[in-house]
Amino acid sequence: MSPSPALRISRVSKHFETGKGRVTAVDDVSLDIMQGEFISIIGPSGCGKSTLMNMVGGLLTEYDGDILLDGKKVSGCQPEIGMVFQEESTFPWRTALENVAFPLEAAGLTRDKRIARARDLLDLVGLSGFENHYPAELSGGMRQRIAIARTLAFEPRILLMDEPFAALDEQTRLLLGDKVVQIQNKLRQTTLLITHNISEAVQLSDRVLIMTFRPGRIKRVIEIDLPRPRSSEMMGSEAFGRYVAEIWQDLREEASKGLHDAEAAARQG
Amino acid sequence: MVAVGQVKSGLRARTRFSRVTIYRIVALVVIIALWEGAGASGLFFRGVIPSSVFVTAALLRLLGDPVFWGHFGVTLFEIVTGFAIGSALGMLGGLGIGMNRYAGQVFEPVAEYLASTPKVVFLPILLILFGIGVGSKISLGAISCFFPLALSIAAAVRNINPMYLRVGQSLNLTLTQRVKMIYLPALTPAIATGLRLGFGIATVGCLMSEIKLSNKGLGHAAMQAYGRFDIPTMLALLIVIFATAALGNSLIGRLIRLPGPTNRRVTHVPR
Repeated sequence: MSPSPALRISRVSKHFETGKGRVTAVDDVSLDIMQGEFISIIGPSGCGKSTLMNMVGGLLTEYDGDILLDGKKVSGCQPEIGMVFQEESTFPWRTALENVAFPLEAAGLTRDKRIARARDLLDLVGLSGFENHYPAELSGGMRQRIAIARTLAFEPRILLMDEPFAALDEQTRLLLGDKVVQIQNKLRQTTLLITHNISEAVQLSDRVLIMTFRPGRIKRVIEIDLPRPRSSEMMGSEAFGRYVAEIWQDLREEASKGLHDAEAAARQG
Repeated sequence: MVAVGQVKSGLRARTRFSRVTIYRIVALVVIIALWEGAGASGLFFRGVIPSSVFVTAALLRLLGDPVFWGHFGVTLFEIVTGFAIGSALGMLGGLGIGMNRYAGQVFEPVAEYLASTPKVVFLPILLILFGIGVGSKISLGAISCFFPLALSIAAAVRNINPMYLRVGQSLNLTLTQRVKMIYLPALTPAIATGLRLGFGIATVGCLMSEIKLSNKGLGHAAMQAYGRFDIPTMLALLIVIFATAALGNSLIGRLIRLPGPTNRRVTHVPR
């Protein structure tokens, strides 16, 4: 682990102007992510975690504070930061292999090279044998693995995942979590995961950040000191349960604030 | 109708004809029978509905006539050229209107008003600009197919799944790469439908202007036959026009390969 962080988020805030006035989505968030570290950000809906992700990914460019990648300010989208989205994002007109090769094609790699690389990555996410299948012929979990492989294809310094498994059923989600752990063991990919699933965060992360409900601040950072390699099997262990309970303690308060807020808005509405 | 029943059962016995094929043949036979019946009924002026035998004879005579092929060539050239120009500009215009919000706000209302205007009103202007020859026909064909194509593609651009565009954005793709690797493949079904529609409309535009004022082409020949009250020849020409339009349409449908597993069965075997 290098002493200087791979990604430094320094005193970042983001305000939106709405009809009802200024809304602070993200308030003074600072975070250092070290090389090879896996960090989860967890928080209730509306805590600004997706806003934070869009700022790091360069989709949102106007904010206060600094986001530095290897000491250089992030301005706009760049291939060094790879994003995996919650929504379906595989291209239906491309086969699994062609989907994974997409960023390599954009980067101008020769056909042979990108096919070889895409094959390796499909293998990594456990989809070898499905190279020539179209997304419509695959399950949601498989499609999301294609999206992950596609993002890993251009070897980003940072992998940003915005609730990548939120649209999947619980069992698929657990198995995909195991898959991510395996990939993590192989690549030591520096990763920032946005999630609202507590056990997913505990299972995958080195550190879990709990965010407050609006305005989004970092409420607490919890180091997950569980032995690696991990898998979904350890979810029954006592240590795992303690982490989950600890996070829920903190999160519960924030989530109920969010719920209360939403109900109040609906009543006015 | 006894004859129809016999044809039907005769065909059903041979299993290599699908049900749809049989129904199509039956429909054709019924239409021809109705046609012959109406002609023989005496309800219409003599010669207005000539027997299909005469129409077939006229068609065969036309196919052996070099003058006919001259007209045919002129019309084909007009349709293809007008369609090519109109659809190329229509696609560019549609992409522009759809991709750029301001271009959309400025041009889309205008395009929508113009799209619902019958394009034949432009014919006098086009005749002055391009003359009575192929120029005015090509330009009317091009104008006719420009608007529906541009509007349908603009609408399709706005319907592209925004996630595809976000993937492109996150990879920092250039405009050319985004058009080539995301917009065009995502739009292929809309483009295919638009081109087929546009081809039909370009055909209508070309033939309409030929019928109105021209000295060459199938429309001109049909009007000449009409002037001579040579109804079988006129109908034979209309059949040729119909067949050309239908052929062109299905050719376009075949040339554009739809992306994705449209014609494939789901065959995934879990490993």
